[in-house]
Amino acid sequence: MARTIKIFLPIKLKLVTLLLLITNSVLFAQESHLKIEFNPVFNKEILAKNSWYVSRNNDSLQFLKIKFYVTDFKILTKDGNTKSIPNSNFLIEVFNDEKLNILLENVSYKKGDQLLFNIGVEEKMNTSGALSGSLDPANGMYWSWQSGYINFKIEGKSPSCNTRKNKFQFHIGGYQQPFAATRSLTLDFSTTKNKVLIIDLEMATLFNTISLNTLNQVMIPGKEAIQIADIIPSLFSLNE
Amino acid sequence: MNKFIRHIIFFLGIFLCLGFVIVKNKALLFEYPEYWPKPEYNFSKLSMTEEEFQLGRHLFYDPLLSRDNTISCASCHLQATGFTHVDHDLSHGIEGRIGTRNSISIMNLAWNTSFMWDGGVNHLEVQALAPIISENEMDESLANIVEKLKNSKKYKSLFYKVHQDSLVTGQKTLLALTQFVVMLNSYNSKYDQYIRNELGGEFTEQEKNGLTIFRNNCASCHKEPLFTSKNFKNNGLSVDSTLNDFGRMIVTRKHQDSLKFKVPTLRNIQFTQPYMHDGRFETLQEVINHYTSGVQHSATLANELKEPIILTHKEKVDLLVFLRTLTDKKFLYNKRFSYPRETTSN
Repeated sequence: MARTIKIFLPIKLKLVTLLLLITNSVLFAQESHLKIEFNPVFNKEILAKNSWYVSRNNDSLQFLKIKFYVTDFKILTKDGNTKSIPNSNFLIEVFNDEKLNILLENVSYKKGDQLLFNIGVEEKMNTSGALSGSLDPANGMYWSWQSGYINFKIEGKSPSCNTRKNKFQFHIGGYQQPFAATRSLTLDFSTTKNKVLIIDLEMATLFNTISLNTLNQVMIPGKEAIQIADIIPSLFSLNE
Repeated sequence: MNKFIRHIIFFLGIFLCLGFVIVKNKALLFEYPEYWPKPEYNFSKLSMTEEEFQLGRHLFYDPLLSRDNTISCASCHLQATGFTHVDHDLSHGIEGRIGTRNSISIMNLAWNTSFMWDGGVNHLEVQALAPIISENEMDESLANIVEKLKNSKKYKSLFYKVHQDSLVTGQKTLLALTQFVVMLNSYNSKYDQYIRNELGGEFTEQEKNGLTIFRNNCASCHKEPLFTSKNFKNNGLSVDSTLNDFGRMIVTRKHQDSLKFKVPTLRNIQFTQPYMHDGRFETLQEVINHYTSGVQHSATLANELKEPIILTHKEKVDLLVFLRTLTDKKFLYNKRFSYPRETTSN
């Protein structure tokens, strides 16, 4: 009996050491996180559902739904290296506070580095069948009759729209050339003081450019989708 | 002291083995004749287990997939007729709504690179979304189906058996349907037996003659052994002015794709009537007569049809007799593919 206990104790000690090692590596392996908050605005005013806004073209408008994908985040370092952040695909929902923030884990960056990501979903993920998580087709951002993701969805109302219930609907997507609608965006880390990056989404930029009277329904990939996709990156800017 | 360690190792071993026995599901084999090309589908997301196959089978036959729980996949894709909608030119969905096309047969899908008559769907795993969301078919959303499945004890248990986790997601639902339909393979027709020199596969003179006629006139588009070419062709059908369906052009928005439709497989064609994307021909005689004397010339007509196909009455009959050798009764009556009557998979 005494002999067994003698042997048992060192094993127990070994186990404890192993356990400590494992917890240590889990706790300290993490690099810093980067939290990104999207801040939707209209002429710098905080955007609210069902509030009325007026564009430079004198379109009065109201937003009911704004959803979009941001995917494939990368850090471009000052010395020219690219660090991809795996599985960094997110679906942002403007009128859902919980879905306006994203967290990039194990990311290290310095002042002068740049953050690169896609607005929308790149070609490969459009041709890879049924995906999971934010890319699950159950999220309602996938076309059924013609495979592919909707990159950016904006729906609302305006008296300028001569449509059923004065609705405007922009479902912007498409991955095949010449109508590939995914756009990339690069932002500079000018300061690393905060662990939170706030990105403004200025919706007025889009509605000051288009006229809702003539352009109010885009539901398929094509020329009109490209026209809007080309404007979309200019909606985003770093809030410093 | 050695004894004690050995004991620990022994029991740890047993414990591990038990774990694997519980987790391991029955594996499925994906079989096809060795002289066939390799499948195009990438199986990596499927579990290839009996459990996922059975889950997919239940989903395929369940009207829960439609908005008012009245229509299942099998409503328009019946096994005994090659998984298509027999006797309906245009397939109908919930509330008697009529679609614009004839449902296409389901078989040997792993060799397809695009789906639907116009090729609008680019991957087998997302094909089911098209009929699910289409207003004239199931008029449902995947998100809502996931909610219905989450509230079902039966499905919670079926999903658990596949994933050791009863959480239902859109992806898992689509993958299970894929696991079922990708196994619907037909390669045991008399034609296949003839090619393999199997007993019972001896062709009559008429069938041999029909095969020669087929190879000379039809096989450039309906390529053996799958009897399709994955291409889209304008086969000279006049435009039905009640539908104005321009086919592939709707998807690609290119004029050169006007009036082009998928070249469908001819396997089991004896039972998949009516024929063509709008089901305009009820019999195979009408189909053959279209190719010999009904082809309408237009800018996008298939090159293969620009010269007329000339067949005598006897040749037409021989061709028809050959087409019947593409019937695979083992496939059409395979109980593994039929309505899941048993309540559990085993």
